[in-house]
Amino acid sequence: MKKHIALLAIIALSLNVKAQQTDTKKGNSAADSLMNLMGVDEKPVPVAIFKSTRLVLSQTTEMVKRNNLNFEVIHRFGDIAGSNGGPQTAFGIDRVNDVFFGFEYGVSDNFNVDLGRSTIGQLVQLELKWAVLHQTTNGSSPIAITLVGEIGAKPYGAFPTFSSRLSHLMQAIFARKFSPGFALQVAPTYVRDNTPFPILPGNEQSFFAMQASARIKLTNHSGVIFDYAHPFSAFRNNTDTFQDPMGFGYEVETGGHVFTVNITNANSVAEMNMLSNSQQRFSKGQYRIGFTISRMFDFNPRAKKEEKKY
Amino acid sequence: MKHISIILLAWMSIFQAGGTLYACKNAQISLFSTAPIEDIAAKTSSGTSVYNPATGDLVFGVAITTFKFPKALMQEHFNSDYLESDKYPRATFKGKIQEHPDLTKDGTYPVTAVGELDVHNVKQTRTIPGTLTVNNGVLTLTSEFMVKCVDHHITIPRLVFHNIAESIKMNVSATYTAVK
Repeated sequence: MKKHIALLAIIALSLNVKAQQTDTKKGNSAADSLMNLMGVDEKPVPVAIFKSTRLVLSQTTEMVKRNNLNFEVIHRFGDIAGSNGGPQTAFGIDRVNDVFFGFEYGVSDNFNVDLGRSTIGQLVQLELKWAVLHQTTNGSSPIAITLVGEIGAKPYGAFPTFSSRLSHLMQAIFARKFSPGFALQVAPTYVRDNTPFPILPGNEQSFFAMQASARIKLTNHSGVIFDYAHPFSAFRNNTDTFQDPMGFGYEVETGGHVFTVNITNANSVAEMNMLSNSQQRFSKGQYRIGFTISRMFDFNPRAKKEEKKY
Repeated sequence: MKHISIILLAWMSIFQAGGTLYACKNAQISLFSTAPIEDIAAKTSSGTSVYNPATGDLVFGVAITTFKFPKALMQEHFNSDYLESDKYPRATFKGKIQEHPDLTKDGTYPVTAVGELDVHNVKQTRTIPGTLTVNNGVLTLTSEFMVKCVDHHITIPRLVFHNIAESIKMNVSATYTAVK
């Protein structure tokens, strides 16, 4: 019995000494090493991949948070150069080709209901946006996936039936922030125009498209964005006049606002218009200045009350 | 033989008693900034801290992402634009409490911690006053101090200058229990 006690004591002591040795090796105090044991349960949080819900042409995986309303005004001016541009039209500023008003409301952090209205076709659209997966800080989810469903109606003009006024768009957006300075996204898209747009012989009612976008951070508040879209449409690819929409821009965030100034050949803002009917060419000077202003309003009732508690 | 074992056991127990550590896993840390356009407030209760009364060692740590803001957008900008929590996920304080209050007696003791405050990966040597309350072996440490944004290389662009104060008021409250 005595032997056992002695043996136990010696073992315990040697363990203690060993523990102390490893501590001193790291240069840590006892408090430090206990701290290191405690600090391991950090919860992963979603990564903010983009600054805004919209780049030049496409939407992003970013969501409007619960009880927040994002108000957007998006402009596309006239051609900078070519036969419709030049100094006579102040390089396109005199002409407004498309204006888009958008309201994006966060029903929850992962589900948004959006309304939009375009000049082109007087298109009114309703959108549902659902964040299926967020990229997380610990990498447990390497990408973000957001699903978008849109239905649009052209209320004016001669259409035989109501349903022939409608267009639909379905999209899955995949995005990843590869580093703090670089984010990339691709978005396979399905577009269905009940009346082919534009109305041309042989034009298809429905087609698939692919959008690809990137953001490069310049400072903590600004970045450059790139956008490209390609419709996989035999009609559009075999007709000379159609052109893949492309754009690049400079984005700056100032607290509640995000401003974007961009240059793109696409005339229209709404994705169903832009993918269906993009016939402007950089080579003909048919590129334009565009801008996006988005303002976030927070309607969380707790915002004011809670601040007083701190 | 018997003596040796008894001496060893006794010595060990003394050693253990001398090294009692106090730990807190839910330290409350809040920040408050008042500026012409808006007040900014955020709070976390996920701070961790360890206090070693024998040596005076005091360690604090908090994950930046655990700070909750009433406005979601503020929280996003706090993480991405100002504290850059993707690069610098934690803020820490490592130092020593200068006083050695008697923890066996209930009471309230003013204390001063001297050490390094590491925010945004910039270390500043700080002397931070606080209050230590002892109640039945439970320790509560509270402190209020200011953190200057420029001291930790947190730059505020001129565009949002009127929204964010240059100095942020921090409030810390940690309740410790002895770690056996």
